[in-house]
Amino acid sequence: MANLSDERWKEPRGQESAPPEGLARIGRKPQTITMDESSNPYFRIISKDVREYHFIVPSEEWVELGEIVSIHDRRAERGATFLARITDLRHDSNYDGNWDTVIRGDGFYDTDQIFHRVVAEPLGCITKEAGGRERFRKSRTIPAKFSPVTKAEKEEFRFLADVMGDIEVGRLRNGSRDVKEIPVALHSDAMDHHMGVFATTGMGKSNFMKVFAASCMKMASAKKSKFGLLIVDPHGEYIFGAEGTKGLLHLDRYRDGIVCYSTDKRHQIDPSVSELSVKRSEILPQDIEVLYDWTPAQREALEAVSRVFYGEGWLDDLLTPEGAARMIAEGFHEKTVGRIGRTIRTILDKNRYISDLTSSIPGIINNLLEGKVVLVDIPTLGERSELFLLSLLSRSILDRYKKESAEGARGKRCLITVEEAQRVLGGGEGSLARFESIAREGRKFGVGLCAITQQPKLIDKQLLSQFNTFVILGLADRNDRTRLEESAKQDLSSLDVEIQTLEKGEAIISTLKIPFPVPARVHLYEEYLDRLNGEGSAEKRGDRRGFNPPPD
Amino acid sequence: MKIVHMADSHLGFSAYGRVDRWGRNLREEMIYEGFKETVDRIIELQPDAVVHAGDVFHHVRPRIRPLYVFQQNLERLVEADIPVVIISGNHDAPKSYAALSPFTLFEGMEGVHIAHHYRYEPFEVGETTFHSIPFCLGPEDYLAEFRKMQERRAERSGGRDVLVMHGLVEALWERRLRTVGEHQLKESFLKSDFSYIALGHYHGQAQVAKNGWYSGSVEYFRFNEAKDEKGILLVDLDSEEVRQIPVVDKYMIDLDPVDCTGLSSRQVEGLIRSVCDDLGLKEKIVRLRLSEISREAYRSLSRRLLGELRGEALHLDIVPQFSDETALRETEPMESRDLPQEFRKFIEGEAAGEAIPAAIRDGVLAYGTGLLARISEKRAAERFDAAQ
Ligand SMILES: Nc1ncnc2c1ncn2[C@@H]1O[C@H](COP(=O)(O)OP(=O)(O)OP(=O)(O)O)[C@@H](O)[C@H]1O
Ligand SMILES: [Mg+2]
Repeated sequence: MANLSDERWKEPRGQESAPPEGLARIGRKPQTITMDESSNPYFRIISKDVREYHFIVPSEEWVELGEIVSIHDRRAERGATFLARITDLRHDSNYDGNWDTVIRGDGFYDTDQIFHRVVAEPLGCITKEAGGRERFRKSRTIPAKFSPVTKAEKEEFRFLADVMGDIEVGRLRNGSRDVKEIPVALHSDAMDHHMGVFATTGMGKSNFMKVFAASCMKMASAKKSKFGLLIVDPHGEYIFGAEGTKGLLHLDRYRDGIVCYSTDKRHQIDPSVSELSVKRSEILPQDIEVLYDWTPAQREALEAVSRVFYGEGWLDDLLTPEGAARMIAEGFHEKTVGRIGRTIRTILDKNRYISDLTSSIPGIINNLLEGKVVLVDIPTLGERSELFLLSLLSRSILDRYKKESAEGARGKRCLITVEEAQRVLGGGEGSLARFESIAREGRKFGVGLCAITQQPKLIDKQLLSQFNTFVILGLADRNDRTRLEESAKQDLSSLDVEIQTLEKGEAIISTLKIPFPVPARVHLYEEYLDRLNGEGSAEKRGDRRGFNPPPD
Repeated sequence: MKIVHMADSHLGFSAYGRVDRWGRNLREEMIYEGFKETVDRIIELQPDAVVHAGDVFHHVRPRIRPLYVFQQNLERLVEADIPVVIISGNHDAPKSYAALSPFTLFEGMEGVHIAHHYRYEPFEVGETTFHSIPFCLGPEDYLAEFRKMQERRAERSGGRDVLVMHGLVEALWERRLRTVGEHQLKESFLKSDFSYIALGHYHGQAQVAKNGWYSGSVEYFRFNEAKDEKGILLVDLDSEEVRQIPVVDKYMIDLDPVDCTGLSSRQVEGLIRSVCDDLGLKEKIVRLRLSEISREAYRSLSRRLLGELRGEALHLDIVPQFSDETALRETEPMESRDLPQEFRKFIEGEAAGEAIPAAIRDGVLAYGTGLLARISEKRAAERFDAAQ
């Protein structure tokens, strides 16, 4: 708190001073008692109702939007602390009318009479339970008038540490200050519902995902993971980082929590990176069907393919002249069959990882079922190929999870990451039915989506309402914010301005089990990496390092 | 360049207690004989090198006989001017640095390269480098050794690279042998830029990558191998052709279960006899399962008949699956580090079925987990070698 204001109101003033003009005008006598600490008007609740608290601060006081304040209400026996988040700041004064354009005496105004009014939104109330435990709940009352307000400190946030989950992503942030002691962590249990990561470009989506994945690797390495995380990375930035950033494979300490598949020769040199491959026989007509905007006739022909050709060889059969002839004999037009054939050739040509012998898919799914992070690194592929692969993988995963859940198996759940999710979750034309069906029914089988996008406004409203974890980094576009506010499980409407003004790495995280949308500072991946790599490394390998064969 | 790829000879393996007239275990002798035949075959083939991808010996401390058999045959290869590359496997590598590996005896032989020091070693034969990663003590060591190899490969290019390793690739993980020290080989080790990847540990012949094979063993060791293809592989590194070469005739037979529902002992005897006659038991190892047989019928099967048949075969295993026995839940042996998790699953399952009251669930879980931790700590301290 600025000293200036402190000194000003502490200074005892004599009765001889002239009554302040505002008071004189309403015809009341000035106060005659000596001012002391308790007569300070600042930092005390002065209004307003259960939805909004107001207090005033000296104009010189630096207060920011999004800061969380605590209000100490001494009425209750054990004391209750209300928490509220600043949602608006206004100029305010004890004068009426256009006082600030009028010269009076030798100045504009009497410094005592103008201040800032702070509007804050109630978050809830911390009460002490009988056993001394703190409990946080939504408040059904308002704090007593003139209850003192302070900026919330780590003590007030301690209850938050109890409701945090197991996947650490950052620290609590109060305005632009960090509360280092309180980590922000998502709940594994909330991850079968979908999760969304939203940010304008450059605000830290990729950084967030790396931090999130690193925490998942740590869980997997300790065999505590409750879900597998699939990341298909078309930019090749997660595996070893890009442009000076670090990647997931730099997390040596928990390398056993991740498996990587790559199409990039340079990445494949690494001992723990497998060459991505998909068996021809694993590709179904429906994988191709989801890819393009087919005409109804073409679509019909594709649907017929699995009827006309038996078993796994359809892809090659269809490409032979005999195969084409069989399709034509089924009543499909030559042009239609030709187009399908050309498309398949293009896919085979652009996706060189397609082979006749080996497949990474069983390995990918097994590792997901074991709760590991699976990174599929495809920097060499174009966008169509990326969608093809993602869609193929998602189908295989969903099929396998359906089967496993029918058999009552107890594998781990999984979360499929979709970059630029607006491409596939837009609803209507041009979106991929497969992802929409995962968004709608994947939960039943333990498959969730982690949708990353710069443009949430392009994501179907209903789909978005199936998401229950929102990680919101800065979003400049009003329509994007509105879409999120409409679909979030927690009320975000009062956070609009704050979301607009979030800086790189600052986030608002809204998720089940954490009682209000939490302001967070996402760890910078490179710093988090150093910390994780330093964890408990002493007991590893130890004395065996110095092995020398005995002389014999 | 042509190489022969073989693995898993398990010299010293013995079973069934049948002995020859000098009192030697028949099964064990068969395996020595098979090894000699394998070397005969190799000498005929005249490859440019032989790779043995682990588990030459069945024991960490082989007796003199298997050592002698190995030495004799190794010398024959050396005399035939065929270079030999060998890595140690989970059976013949001691599980601590303190013990000396049996391969120490064969170090320094001309044309014989053995990797058995728990670390990566490159052996050059002509233009070809055999990158050998033997059995390592910790599963995480493979990653480090592999990295060393990749660094070396990055430094020098030219010539062919053959990778030699011992362990089970993830793709075959369901078929794990679950023996002591069994290590999982990462899928990521199967790099496509090797000319060839020679793997050992899995006893059937199996191609696991475009350029990667398990040669399988020449011999049969367990009934679940009865359907495997066996032998050695002749690999042409130039044409990338891999030829499967059988060495011994199939002698292990796991017959399909015979349905004995409602049959009397006489009828079952008739069935057994006809099945065995059809097959011909001589010098074979046979398992015959009698499914849904009644206990009375099984008890009164003719001892004489069974004795006769058993005498005919090298080994005959007749396994009853009684009709009144609800099929036993197939429990597979666990890896010890998975035990706490398995225990938790079990307790949670029991608690969900209310077999354990919710009130004491956590207590039971904590107590059991604690016990497991103490046991595994003790076990770790004792450091078992691969037994039998
Ligand atoms: N939590 C953070 N703390 C500090 N700096 C950060 C943080 N997150 C991101 N940054 C900085 O912002 C840069 C851009 O971040 P990042 O690449 O994650 O953004 P993005 O949203 O994925 O961008 P794009 O839309 O281009 O993919 C990073 O290189 C990093 O320097
Ligand atoms: Mg990015």
